[in-house]
Amino acid sequence: MSAMTTAIRADRVAKAFLSGKVRTQVLDGLSIELMSAELTLISGPSGCGKSTLLAILSGLERPDAGRVEALGERVWELDRAGLQRFRLQHLGFVFQGFNLFPALTALEQVMLPLGYLGLGHAAARQRAEAALDEVDLAHRRHLRPAELSGGEKQRVAIARALAKQPQLFFADEPTSALDARSGQTVIDILHRIARSHGATVLCVSHDPRLVTHADRVLRMEDGRILSDQRNPAAGPPLAEESSP
Amino acid sequence: MIALARKTLIYEWRRFLPATLAVAFSGMLLLVQLALVLGIFESASTYITRSSADLWAGYPGTQSIDLGRPISRDVEMRLLMDPAVARVEPFQWVDGDWHGPVDLGSVSVFISGIDPSPRGLAFADVIPPALRLLLQEPGAVIVDRADLPKLGIGVGDRAILNGVRVRLVGTATGLRALGGVNIVTSLATARRLNQGVDDPGQVAYYLIKLKQPAAAAAVARRLDPQSAHRRYAVWTAQDFSARTVRYWLFETGAGLGVVFMSAVVFLVGAVITSQTLMGAVAGSVTEYATLNALGASYAALSRVVMEQATWIGTLGLLLGGVLSALVLAVAVGQDVPVALSPLGVLVCAGLVMAIALVSGLMAVRTLRRADPARLLR
Ligand SMILES: Nc1ncnc2c1ncn2[C@@H]1O[C@H](COP(=O)(O)OP(=O)(O)O)[C@@H](O)[C@H]1O
Ligand SMILES: [Mg+2]
Repeated sequence: MSAMTTAIRADRVAKAFLSGKVRTQVLDGLSIELMSAELTLISGPSGCGKSTLLAILSGLERPDAGRVEALGERVWELDRAGLQRFRLQHLGFVFQGFNLFPALTALEQVMLPLGYLGLGHAAARQRAEAALDEVDLAHRRHLRPAELSGGEKQRVAIARALAKQPQLFFADEPTSALDARSGQTVIDILHRIARSHGATVLCVSHDPRLVTHADRVLRMEDGRILSDQRNPAAGPPLAEESSP
Repeated sequence: MIALARKTLIYEWRRFLPATLAVAFSGMLLLVQLALVLGIFESASTYITRSSADLWAGYPGTQSIDLGRPISRDVEMRLLMDPAVARVEPFQWVDGDWHGPVDLGSVSVFISGIDPSPRGLAFADVIPPALRLLLQEPGAVIVDRADLPKLGIGVGDRAILNGVRVRLVGTATGLRALGGVNIVTSLATARRLNQGVDDPGQVAYYLIKLKQPAAAAAVARRLDPQSAHRRYAVWTAQDFSARTVRYWLFETGAGLGVVFMSAVVFLVGAVITSQTLMGAVAGSVTEYATLNALGASYAALSRVVMEQATWIGTLGLLLGGVLSALVLAVAVGQDVPVALSPLGVLVCAGLVMAIALVSGLMAVRTLRRADPARLLR
């Protein structure tokens, strides 16, 4: 496994939203570092700015001020096409909604982004099958979203992001639409991705139940990080978990 | 590459059906209205298209066959002298006034005087040799079956045409003229009907049969005197018929009507199709946004939408083609004049595809809503 290194560094990022005449300063000079090979959870109440922070770190929303360096790249200094390419090559996303195409089977959902990466059909299929296997859905790969449960759909969404083999993996409220059991499965999969792929996984959620499953927990309120704790007991050790 | 556009189209076919139908019906409307208008105006050139002449000689600048003016008798000799010419046949053109046995008042008609011999060129496609021979009887006339009620006459009945007694010896199909009834007689009878002119034997046209029809264009150029003061001109049958149709299309404003109607159909088709496509894009906007977050560019997503539009266009085209064929078959069965040219069909097909593609382009704009930052709210 790759050693832990700093994968993302945000430096005094700020973001305000204007709704009507009211200006809300969501983030005001927030700095943060995220390490590879671990699952970082940002936990906090709704509206405290978690998603905004995730969007800024992942190149989806431009900050008003500050700098984001991801994998040594100054994200917000890239042009549109450069940013697009950066996301394509290095980033994976999972959202609260599963956002699967109704017409595609699980396997096709996962293969789809690989086509944009330039992979051929056979290679894409192989990678997609491996990713589905990793989220324990190999046996459901020919089913469409309508035939899958919520938890299974979220796992397909994870596999879709995972098959790209991203170094940076972002999850925004990935368990909010799920029951407790499915939610736990999902967070465990995210945890495993960090450990076994050495990926930097950032999960933001208001769900307090996830706290025990993360390697590192940042508590956020009102756009500020209140605490930053490592969680040595998070998840079982890797060796026990993923022996083939 | 996963065929997202096609798979979505098949899986969510109900969603795309309205667009496909809109395209198909637009295509059918475009094609059928064109076929109807062309059908009506092709009948203006019936005299030309249903005759087997390769070339026509007539008064210079004649825009439409019904505007023919007498030309000199010695044209016939001059045409016959050319070695490429196999046969030259006079074709008379006289306006007529018809009084049938049933009193319907007077009906304004066109009289075509043709050579009644079995080898005659005029209306060779419509009047079989046996029927043609009947015209040798003085005062014998033939009309289109569909014109019988208008003339108030049956086969064997007598009528008065330009004050001369005539007898209907038979009917044919395909003699209908635009703006009047077409009465076919022999050249001799036509001469008797052509009253009040200095030389009743002077005809408006000469029909020319060539030894080699393929050389028509070249021979027409050679036979035409080409000077500004020429007293007759020579055209290929194709040119003359096209000119006649064009004259009627624009003289009556029907051509403009077709263009206007096509624009309306195009607009309606594009509005419905684009609405459907936009709805489909809007319905999948979070999925598209997720793909965008994962690195699929806006251009790549646009291609998916345009591919869907192309499929809808193709399916609509096929369905529209079938519908048009059915409607036109019914029209033909009901003696409604319809006609199509390959160019017309091609233009309609192009317009149909354009409806789909323009709609696709409009739907692509809906993709702007596929902003991945919105997935976080
Ligand atoms: N695009 C936007 N326009 C206006 N206000 C926004 C926008 N995005 C977020 N906000 C506001 O910013 C604050 C933080 O939002 P968010 O980062 O989504 O919080 P969280 O994910 O922690 O629930 C909220 O008050 C929200 O209403
Ligand atoms: Mg949020």
